[in-house]
Amino acid sequence: MLITFFNAILIVLITWLAYLYFDQREKAMPARERYAQLMRGVASIVDRLEGYDKEHSREIAELSERIGVACGLNDQQLQSLNAAAMLHDIGELLLPRDLVKSDKKLEGDELELLRTHTLLGELHLKAQIEDLDEVPTLIRWHHERWDGLGYPDNLKGEEIPLAARIIALADAVSAMKATRDYRKRQYSRDEDVVAEVKRLSGMQFDPQLVKTWIAIGCPLASIKQ
Amino acid sequence: MTLRLQSAWLLEAVSEIATIDSVFFPFVHRFSALNWLSRRDFALSVNAFSPSQAMLLRAWLDGSYGVFSERNLQKFNQQIKNPLDLSMNPFRAWKDRLFDRQQLDYLFYWREAAFEIEEESQREIFWSAVYQIMSYWLSNRACEVEVECRPDEIMGLMLNRHAEFIKGREAKVAITSLSLDELAPAETCLTLFPMVFGDEENAEMTLQVVFDAWHNGHDDLEQARRQIRMQLRKYQIDLARPTDYYTITKLSANSKITALIWSGLDLPPALYEQEMVRPLQKAFAARYAKSQLLMKAVDRTCDAYDYLLLFY
Ligand SMILES: [Fe+2]
Ligand SMILES: [Fe+2]
Repeated sequence: MLITFFNAILIVLITWLAYLYFDQREKAMPARERYAQLMRGVASIVDRLEGYDKEHSREIAELSERIGVACGLNDQQLQSLNAAAMLHDIGELLLPRDLVKSDKKLEGDELELLRTHTLLGELHLKAQIEDLDEVPTLIRWHHERWDGLGYPDNLKGEEIPLAARIIALADAVSAMKATRDYRKRQYSRDEDVVAEVKRLSGMQFDPQLVKTWIAIGCPLASIKQ
Repeated sequence: MTLRLQSAWLLEAVSEIATIDSVFFPFVHRFSALNWLSRRDFALSVNAFSPSQAMLLRAWLDGSYGVFSERNLQKFNQQIKNPLDLSMNPFRAWKDRLFDRQQLDYLFYWREAAFEIEEESQREIFWSAVYQIMSYWLSNRACEVEVECRPDEIMGLMLNRHAEFIKGREAKVAITSLSLDELAPAETCLTLFPMVFGDEENAEMTLQVVFDAWHNGHDDLEQARRQIRMQLRKYQIDLARPTDYYTITKLSANSKITALIWSGLDLPPALYEQEMVRPLQKAFAARYAKSQLLMKAVDRTCDAYDYLLLFY
């Protein structure tokens, strides 16, 4: 009798724990979706302030994801890639508006200052999140080039983490097709963008990544319908 | 030898300890890694591990070199209309292994043509552009990507990039190319040791080997590789012989701060702490009162972290 009673309590306890577990998981799933929506919201403010005519950050994040999946990145890497792509230019918000929106080709000190948006983005995010998270570091490197002539650290080739190489490619592709309120579209025809990306393979872009991008059909914009 | 030198991070960390106006690099893994520091107001002393690396450092970092002149560009960056005689080409052994026939013709022509350039600095800029071109060709070749651009066009493009890179540079860079036994410790605020792991040769190392052989006018890659490896050996981290840090303690003798940087992969941070940081702390115990280890995540799924170890 005693044992049966004990068993009953045990069953109730297990059921309750299982309920708690599934309930939490149930809540956790939408949390991820909510997080994604919040991220899109923040990113769209950045895009707006940067003068883009479209959801530039979201486009880069989705383009990056497609390339990242094709490269075989795992779930955690894809998550970091998404967050870094969404927030890649957030450091620009900390710079003077007229500098970020300047329509002339920047030189000297002004150019150096604009380039610090990579460091500012990293620094400010790092202050807010867990010590050893890679997202701020990826943001730091979204302007590195395969040939070592990018910024801020002049990393070269595979020194640049794959996720940062992906963001750099997606950012460049998206920028070639974008209009900003102070800058005209660089290329109006899709085939010109493809030709330019191919031309820059091994210079600005990782050749392997260019190959992967071509293999998945040279996606230029990827806002899910 | 994957290594990420994050200069702004380094300065952020050391500026909390002291004001830095001079930095000594007994070794540097790649010239462009010094770009950030050399664009700011620091006196840099850099020891190159080979004469060809010293040339790259001068041509790309020393502002007094200026840009490649338009006149020389017209004169020395000609298009080769008809294939050259391959039997005359000292690099013919590389055909189809590293470069195609047309690329080899240009590598031969560029090296010879540059001897006609009067000013040495202009010649070094021209040759240094070849390093970037080789890098471009080799990395595309490794992925079997066809390069469509003509070599003389690429040369024009690279010299343009060089001009952009060097513009506005007032760097004070003192460059030596000494063996480590001859090298003396420099009187600087900071001595920095980029550390590399002695495992397999990566694409960048191969490039430096090929470029070194080309610069010396021969096709013997083994000879170039031996030379470079010999110099690199002292900076290679070997977790199995952690106490061999004599070179490092010797060369940092005249600095207020010593920093070591490396990029880890596949091994947890705790292992580096135990196998590298502690022995180094022991080696420096008599010289510096304090040490500090900083880390940054690069990709946590494969334990990729960048490390910065300071002694002061
Ligand atoms: Fe950016
Ligand atoms: Fe962007």
